[in-house]
Amino acid sequence: MELFASETINTGVIAKGILVGFGGMGPAIAIGLLGSSYMNAVSRNPESSKFLGQLFVFVGMAELFGLIAFASIFIIS
Amino acid sequence: MFNILAASGPQIAIAPEELFQIGDVMITNSMLYGWVVAVFMIVFLFIISRKITVMGSKGFFPRAVEALTEFIYDFVVNSLGSRERARKYAPFFTALFFFALINNWMGLLPIVGHGITYGEAPLLRPFTADFNGTLSMALVAMVLVQVFAIRESGAVGHIRHFFAGNLLNPLTYVIGLSEVFTEFTRLFSLGLRLFLNVVIGEILIAIFAYLGGIFGFASAVPFTLVEVFVGLLQAYIFVLLTVSYLSMAISHGDDHEEAAVKS
Repeated sequence: MELFASETINTGVIAKGILVGFGGMGPAIAIGLLGSSYMNAVSRNPESSKFLGQLFVFVGMAELFGLIAFASIFIIS
Repeated sequence: MFNILAASGPQIAIAPEELFQIGDVMITNSMLYGWVVAVFMIVFLFIISRKITVMGSKGFFPRAVEALTEFIYDFVVNSLGSRERARKYAPFFTALFFFALINNWMGLLPIVGHGITYGEAPLLRPFTADFNGTLSMALVAMVLVQVFAIRESGAVGHIRHFFAGNLLNPLTYVIGLSEVFTEFTRLFSLGLRLFLNVVIGEILIAIFAYLGGIFGFASAVPFTLVEVFVGLLQAYIFVLLTVSYLSMAISHGDDHEEAAVKS
């Protein structure tokens, strides 16, 4: 008992792990959905492959939330 | 020197570091590199623009700059609906695109970062890896979008764009205020998106160069190549969002005949 009481556990490390894990999950699902609907659209109508640039824009917008979560781990100490 | 197991972690800085002061103004390393890149960009694009001719350009750089300029111009034409408007506003968006692009790409050069230090801080830092820098870029972009929208539709017309509908209905004011608030949200999301993409690329490169140990020069290469692509993509997204905010601000739903103009 004396052994454990003298140590302090830094819970910030756990917080960082949870933040990166859950913060990366949402954008990953979003990018997967975007990619799958793009492939669906192209296989139904090959002319719609011209929207690849638009796709990247939406990927960039979805990525932002993951990046915010990643940047937030530097605030936690 | 060749420490495989380094005692300290990779050196990561989210905020720019102060180099020196002129009067009371703090000069940070990102400001310094922003000036360097701005001067370089003016000289480079001026020289390149002399070499672009109607008969076709010679050399790699004139062709690349011409292709990117045409890409942005065609995109502005498609978004704003007419060539007259695009000719008025495309130079601003092209300049914004090249400023973001050249800043992103020159931030990947080896002279940037901890290679050259001034005192404790690195001498150079990419301008877009500083939230003050990208926020000021977004501020310039959003203010000019408002100015352009007022020029296109008049001051009253622009305010009516926010407060559209019956003015006696109190709901109009609630929706209008939330529209005004949306403009500020756009400002921060524009600045934050560019900043976070660039700074997290820098952090990834630093972490993987650190993990590589003595092979750090090689282990960071894939991420540097990814960052080249991300820099182009983020510069494009920055301009694309600004253009679409402008096209949203100057369209009032009554100019369908202009949207039918083919580019």
